Amino acid sequence: MRLLLLLVVLAGCASSPRVPPPGPGEIVSASDAQTGLLIGRSTKADVRAALGKATEIPFDSGYEVWVYRQQLREKEKPPRKELVLLFTPSGILSKSRLR
Amino acid sequence: MTLKIGVRARFFLVLSYWALTPIFAFGQDASVRVEGLRDPVDKSYRRMVAGAKLFEERRAHAPQAPLRFKLLPRNRATKMDGVELDLVGDSFQEPIELAPDNTFVLPRDARALKENASVRPNRRSGTMTWRAEIRSPGVPPGARRLGDLRLECYVGMESGLISNRPPSLLGWMLDVFAEGPAYCDRPEPNYLFFAERPVWNVTLVAGARREVLSVDRLYAAASRDRNLREVLPYCDCEVLLDRTYFVPLGDRSWPDDTLVHFEYMDDR
Repeated sequence: MRLLLLLVVLAGCASSPRVPPPGPGEIVSASDAQTGLLIGRSTKADVRAALGKATEIPFDSGYEVWVYRQQLREKEKPPRKELVLLFTPSGILSKSRLR
Repeated sequence: MTLKIGVRARFFLVLSYWALTPIFAFGQDASVRVEGLRDPVDKSYRRMVAGAKLFEERRAHAPQAPLRFKLLPRNRATKMDGVELDLVGDSFQEPIELAPDNTFVLPRDARALKENASVRPNRRSGTMTWRAEIRSPGVPPGARRLGDLRLECYVGMESGLISNRPPSLLGWMLDVFAEGPAYCDRPEPNYLFFAERPVWNVTLVAGARREVLSVDRLYAAASRDRNLREVLPYCDCEVLLDRTYFVPLGDRSWPDDTLVHFEYMDDR
């Protein structure tokens, strides 16, 4: 019984992802994240609720650029994919790009 | 890597002041008779002439382009209307014609060289910054030519145009600034260029090859530097942050005729 339990635990370890959960400004999939955004409609609050906190770059003009980076998967090498968002001074998403 | 890029950017922004500050600063001679602003945002004429000489030596990067210099706002309070520019020596002061876009051609003046003159706008230190302005004819609107930018960097570094003010001076900075124009030959130097308007995206295009720059090459690498806001007052990009970009000047796989295309924040 103990041996069976040990095997189950080891099997679980082997199959569990080694990539930690996304940190601040990180997302699991930049493409999926972009798909869920609506240009001209999504607000900062919408995006923060969906993707978490970004690296935010505010400008004097009121525009803001937000940056999310795709989490590196195991054995994946940089550069990481980046999702860049532009918010108008009124807080509405006006542009996005993947790189 | 994240920290490395951020620190590099900040390092360049903060330190370039020291190495690029005119060596032959005006105002040290008690015999100066010309009256004007105290602590003006001036530049050394000798260093600007040295930059112009380097332009001639390296103009293969932009064979058809003339050399101009440009004044840019440095902080939010700076008003760019009504700027007047003078060449100021020990025994003379002569106006330099400033175009409506705040560009000018550096006059050749043996007396100014001899007297270690200053190029002096009627603005105080810290209110404006300077750049070389080199534009080849035929470049489409909304684009720059990489060879022009390479040459702007060479001239800018040689002329001491960048007006950053360091909070402190560290000895290890000296090595970097000893590079001078050679800094522009690094694959990805953090030499700040300013787009015409707040920039959203920058793409390099050479024939069929296209590359969108990382957001880390825009906005003075703010995306990599959480402390940028703290050092921003010391950067001559302070009020132009949303127009700022770096390009891979020293990466020779991109030819001089590479076009740098801009997409602006307010483009529809």
